[in-house]
Amino acid sequence: MKLVRTATIVVIGLCACACSPVAPWQRGKLAKPQMALEPYPLQNTFIGHIYNSREASGAVGSTGGGGCGCN
Amino acid sequence: MAVIKGDGVNGKSAFGRVKAVAGHFIAKPPEKLPKTPLPANASLQFLTAAALSLPGLSPAPALAVEEETGILYGYYEESNRHLYGVKSRFHPITVESLLVSSKIKLADRIKFAFNYFQDTWSGATPVATAPQSFGGNKEGHVISGATPFLQNNNVLFDRQMNPLIRDPASGQLVKDAQLVHTLSTASPEVRKQGDFKLGYEWDSVSLDAGGGISIEHDYESRFGNLGGRWDFNNKLTSLNLSLSYTNSDTRSILDHDATPYIWDTTHGFESYNATSTVSRLGKEGGNNILYGNRQDWGTVLGLTQVLNDSALLEGSVGYTRSTGYMANPYKTVETVFIDPDQTGKVLNGLAIGLLEKRPEERNQWTENLRYVQHIEALDASLHFDYRFSHDDWGVNAHTFEVDWIQPLGNGWSVTPKVRYYSQSAADFYTPYMVSNQAFRKNAVDANGRQIYVEADNPNNGKVYFRDGDFNLVDANGNLVDETVINPVNKTIPPDRNKLPAYYSSDHRLSGYGALSGGITLGKQFAKGVTLEIGAEYYTHSGSLKLGGSGEGSYADFNAYMVNALLKVDLSALSIASLGHGDHHHHHRHHGVHAPAGVMFDHMMNSAGDMMVGARYMYGTQSGDILHGSAIAGDAEIVNKGCSSDLCFTAPSGMNMNMIMVDIMYAPTDWLTLMLMPQFVDMNMTTRKLNGMPVPSFDQQSLIDHHTLHEHTTGGVGDTGMYAMFKLFDQSGHHMHATLGFSAPTGDVHVKFRDTQRLEAGFQHYGMQLGSGTWDFKPSLTYTGTADDFSWGAQVNGTVRMEKANESGFTFGDMIQSTAWGAYNVLDWLSASVRGVYTVQGAVKGAYNGTYNQLGPVDYTSSYGGRYWDAGFGINVSVPHGSLQGNNLSFEWLQPVSDDVNGYQLRREGALSATWSYAF
Repeated sequence: MKLVRTATIVVIGLCACACSPVAPWQRGKLAKPQMALEPYPLQNTFIGHIYNSREASGAVGSTGGGGCGCN
Repeated sequence: MAVIKGDGVNGKSAFGRVKAVAGHFIAKPPEKLPKTPLPANASLQFLTAAALSLPGLSPAPALAVEEETGILYGYYEESNRHLYGVKSRFHPITVESLLVSSKIKLADRIKFAFNYFQDTWSGATPVATAPQSFGGNKEGHVISGATPFLQNNNVLFDRQMNPLIRDPASGQLVKDAQLVHTLSTASPEVRKQGDFKLGYEWDSVSLDAGGGISIEHDYESRFGNLGGRWDFNNKLTSLNLSLSYTNSDTRSILDHDATPYIWDTTHGFESYNATSTVSRLGKEGGNNILYGNRQDWGTVLGLTQVLNDSALLEGSVGYTRSTGYMANPYKTVETVFIDPDQTGKVLNGLAIGLLEKRPEERNQWTENLRYVQHIEALDASLHFDYRFSHDDWGVNAHTFEVDWIQPLGNGWSVTPKVRYYSQSAADFYTPYMVSNQAFRKNAVDANGRQIYVEADNPNNGKVYFRDGDFNLVDANGNLVDETVINPVNKTIPPDRNKLPAYYSSDHRLSGYGALSGGITLGKQFAKGVTLEIGAEYYTHSGSLKLGGSGEGSYADFNAYMVNALLKVDLSALSIASLGHGDHHHHHRHHGVHAPAGVMFDHMMNSAGDMMVGARYMYGTQSGDILHGSAIAGDAEIVNKGCSSDLCFTAPSGMNMNMIMVDIMYAPTDWLTLMLMPQFVDMNMTTRKLNGMPVPSFDQQSLIDHHTLHEHTTGGVGDTGMYAMFKLFDQSGHHMHATLGFSAPTGDVHVKFRDTQRLEAGFQHYGMQLGSGTWDFKPSLTYTGTADDFSWGAQVNGTVRMEKANESGFTFGDMIQSTAWGAYNVLDWLSASVRGVYTVQGAVKGAYNGTYNQLGPVDYTSSYGGRYWDAGFGINVSVPHGSLQGNNLSFEWLQPVSDDVNGYQLRREGALSATWSYAF
């Protein structure tokens, strides 16, 4: 909970300086496909699998799978 | 060891919760929007409407599609490694991947997603590193080109522990400053992963749970995860938390070809098992196996914030704790043992490959920042990602990535990308090791006398000595018969405590940087179908490491990857279908689907129609070997199964999996075009025949190579392209002809990994991924319907249009006829029965390269035959709701009668499953 509280404080702090209130009907641009945080999820799964089998810092924290990477 | 994000397929759509389903759009047309200045742009208006149509309002990225299915093919290939004048006989590593992903809504707020991921790895990678003078890639022997050589290698060092090499010009010993990788290869290996996620959504909170399994022949991983999202601050802020657990087992065969360089001969089983607490060596059916287990716990806390009407920021922290066996069983650390008692300027050393040893614990942290900015002037978006990852192995890594997504109009978009990655080396990374002790010392007793033991039983506790006359005496000084004892020097192995606690030469733990650039081109077609193709070029180099001091240039390589994705937005299709209700009804009425195993069974009805589908086929063989229709015993197979030779082996099991993608399009109402790419994988087990002849030494090596473990192949198969012509279609009767070709996109050069420095050559004909020839594939299909009954018949053929493929052979031509009947048990469910008769010819020609013939499968005469099958199927059509138009069929094909050419493994049956969506 401490993390959550810290994070909330950080966000509120961020908003205070950087965020402007965005009304729901002003969110059209944010709803565009090119604005998705992960616009190419399937490609990124494939490419991420390659990166993770070739680089030492894997996808920290997330779910397993992906195999041995022994090659 | 690699870990990928199982949830990556679903996207990290923290806010992606706009219910972009038809009903909401209809219920809230744009004119009912709040009284604010409406955007001029129509699509923006549409998106705004989407954003507003939520039960709870949600910000971006609204078009995280709710119901979607996609199939992706990816290919990765590395460049050749620099071996400094030595020619490797291996191709660099390639990876072929297939990813199938679907997400659907089970109910209004319940979401279900599942993914299937399959990849095939083949080719060579570095297994060790050593100075060039060690000759780790050795040329000569039976095989042309270099093979790994890492065991019992006599090498020279100077007093300062620099490796020495003889200068070819002067003949003098000079310092050898050049490191080089030793390359080795594996037979193709297939990995399969399936995972799912089930989620429930409230207005501002969602929870999900998922799990999955990843299976390869030497590694199995099971995982589960829990996740939650909380939107607050008018949905401008979102908090994500996830927890995951993974449990993985290693079961690696350290086989004959691997043991010369990774077998821990200095210690053997007992010693290895005594020193490693997280892995174990053992024997299983003639194989040396390394067993290990690891567990990973991970968590990610993320926060996404809408900064203004055109910018988003996400920050997250992640932590993973891993324990257990995390080493790579196929990598070795070249270790030089130098006896410190030597005199002179040049020291002799013995180089041995040791299994690598990594810590049993790893704690990794990552901090991640993602920023997305809309660029008004170009309607583009800029994505900036930065990640810092660090762990207690000493690996600190920075990743920067910038993507620019540029819509081009008409559904086109282009996304260039640049990525830079840099990591520091793990604390225990070392290219190779030098240990200041003799590899093997003769043991002496307290009086300095050399100790002898019995060669045939060295551990029986009995020791012997030489007396003053060099006669052998026992511990009590009594003379013994030397010819009975067969004495050898008792030796002392090196002291493991003089080696570092942990060591690895895996180049992925070295310090380096990687720069890559790529581009993705996307095209969204009408009716929710999207095609995306991407390419990326990747450069790995020690000199690219941030701050310098990266690994030497010997470890540099380049790679490229390409991918193609076809995805279908099922919810968009539902929207589209609202205006075409009768159109779909027509399909359903007419398109009583043929059983799942029948291809080319139906056409599109009218110009402009499209269909996408996926077809899965599984075939299995096991049990008896048939000759004609009769069971053949081992003695008969040995004597008659291999033409004029004697057989050593016979197959004991074979499985084939095939995934096909159907894309159909009707330019006019009498013509339907069809494209059908395929992805296949096969596995085969082989046994020794009872009464087989006594093999030569080399034959025995190859027989072990075939029989000790399963062989797998996989990758892209042949690609079909067809045109279907309507012949007649009236009052419940329909007939069409199909003409088409199968293009030889499947590999017909699949080979075994070499064994014991012998070239193991081509895998069996039936294990190749395609025919290798352009094939003509005509068919004629008739279907009929009346009330709740439907029926049909088809004749189809395959004619090889070339005399031989690149590997020197062709499969036999084939003709097949089939007839079926089906009954609609319910509105949405029908059941079918079918009969099939197939005739296929034997293989013509023969492999034009090295090919070791050990059993009937290696002879062309043991292919083809005459087969009767009976099929039993069901078909499910979704009649209404958001998944209307989807069709699922299953059919089991049961062999009734086989009359095979030569000697072949009995067929046990085949399963077909198809999914299709017409629109």
